[in-house]
Amino acid sequence: MRSRDGNLNFSRRLCSVVILFSSLALSASEYLISYKYIVKDAILYNETLLISKAMTKCEGTPQEEFILQNSSEDNLKKLISKNPQEFIEYIHKLGMHVNHDEKTINLQNSYTTVLTLKTTCFKVDFNDNFATIAPLK
Amino acid sequence: MKYSILIAMLLSISTLSGADKVQTVDAAAIEQTNAELSKVRAEIAQAKLDAAQATAQACEAKKESQRVVEELAVAKAEKEEEIATATAKEEVLRKNKSVHISVIGQGVAPMNTSSPAQAYALAKRAAIADAYRAIAEKVKGVRIDGQDTIKNMMVQRSTVRTYVQAMVRNADIVETTFKEGLCEVEMEILISHADFAQ
Repeated sequence: MRSRDGNLNFSRRLCSVVILFSSLALSASEYLISYKYIVKDAILYNETLLISKAMTKCEGTPQEEFILQNSSEDNLKKLISKNPQEFIEYIHKLGMHVNHDEKTINLQNSYTTVLTLKTTCFKVDFNDNFATIAPLK
Repeated sequence: MKYSILIAMLLSISTLSGADKVQTVDAAAIEQTNAELSKVRAEIAQAKLDAAQATAQACEAKKESQRVVEELAVAKAEKEEEIATATAKEEVLRKNKSVHISVIGQGVAPMNTSSPAQAYALAKRAAIADAYRAIAEKVKGVRIDGQDTIKNMMVQRSTVRTYVQAMVRNADIVETTFKEGLCEVEMEILISHADFAQ
């Protein structure tokens, strides 16, 4: 016959394991990032970079990773805002959807080009001096 | 006197018979001449017919030569086109080969920028988008739609619309220049057969 203490210990262990895994899951640095910019008649019209923490776990394996210098930061938005140019160049390398629409009415030309990075899940590992970012595919 | 009358009668008789002779001679000559004339006329008609036939043949020969000349001209044009396409042949992506594409994108800085640096950054971004568009056009192609509205024999509105839709990855910026508000970005991309093999 099992004692009540034994059951309590077991349940404590179980709870701690559950808490540990859940905390790990909560602190999992997975971010959803989307980027879009619109150029109208050779002039940049609008640029949007959206970053948010993933609410659910992403599936896939990390692909080409990118390393950003980090000064003990654990917020990707702040980190990227410090090096936006490098990050945007990296996003360009990952691949952009190009949507170009050009109109010539009575010999007058106007066009709109939209470059988009569709919402992609990124795995981010924060370290003391650097952070690695990799898309999950 | 009697003899003279007799002679006169004889003479008149002789002249009468001579006139008959002349008349008979003239009719034969006329008949002969008519026959010759008709013969000559027939020959002339034949000659005319021959000439007409010869003219028709010449016309046909001329038409034939014109047709041959036209065919030659078409053949020459086709050959020239073939040569032109052969010389400026598009690069085809073959297995285990890669194609290098280089484009230049242009962008302009907006008027209301707070600093030259901002103007440069914005113009560069616009130029990159233009370069991406150029790469997409080269690799995937352009859809073109044209519409002309004509009223009372006059063009009211002429519209040309072009669309490009593509996904571009691994394009590299080679060079950036910024001069008098215009930013030019040279971009290149290396496309291999494996990129499309999926």
